[in-house]
Amino acid sequence: MMAPETIELGFEEILCLCGNDGVIGVVKAGAGQFFIETDDCEIALFTEEDDLFVASGFGTDERMIEGIRCMLYLVREVESPLIALPKDHPASGRLKIVVSAGVETTISCGITPGTHPEQNVLCGMSEFDGLRIVGVAGGVQLRGIDTSKIDIRKLRMYEL
Amino acid sequence: MCSVGDVTSIDVTTLAPGEYECMDCNNKFKGIGKKVTCPSCKSSNVKKV
Repeated sequence: MMAPETIELGFEEILCLCGNDGVIGVVKAGAGQFFIETDDCEIALFTEEDDLFVASGFGTDERMIEGIRCMLYLVREVESPLIALPKDHPASGRLKIVVSAGVETTISCGITPGTHPEQNVLCGMSEFDGLRIVGVAGGVQLRGIDTSKIDIRKLRMYEL
Repeated sequence: MCSVGDVTSIDVTTLAPGEYECMDCNNKFKGIGKKVTCPSCKSSNVKKV
């Protein structure tokens, strides 16, 4: 079993995991209130200090990295609601970035609808399949896969 | 905890949020998390129904 890698992460930083086919961005959510909007209801989401927002992007160029940063900024700083599309919505296949929230997110490239009631899974490229991203005090733990081949960077949430 | 706009269409109904009522303003809402407060009046005087 691989030892988890712990990476320090400040509130103003984005942990960026850059693979060959996709990019994952991670920020601390902080204690706050956010909203998930579905087609028929609204759910208030209450996060804690070391919970995370994780954004998974399907692409690797600089536009995608900037897109990840913008998405995480929109969600955390602007408090833009998280929109959950219903099953089989035509927009699902057009999304370039998807987002999850919580203390732990598992990246999966083969999610089957209805088989993950724990709902801590996020769609990602195959190179990240099985990666568990866990919020810990002052940082993030990466578990489940060999991260030695992943380009791990830190970005600033805010450009001065 | 949740996935949003997932291309694989996770069924958000399985999120199983709790149903809450605010004891101060009577607002009823669905919530997820440990420190639930009323989204309307911000009161922490809420109960799970």
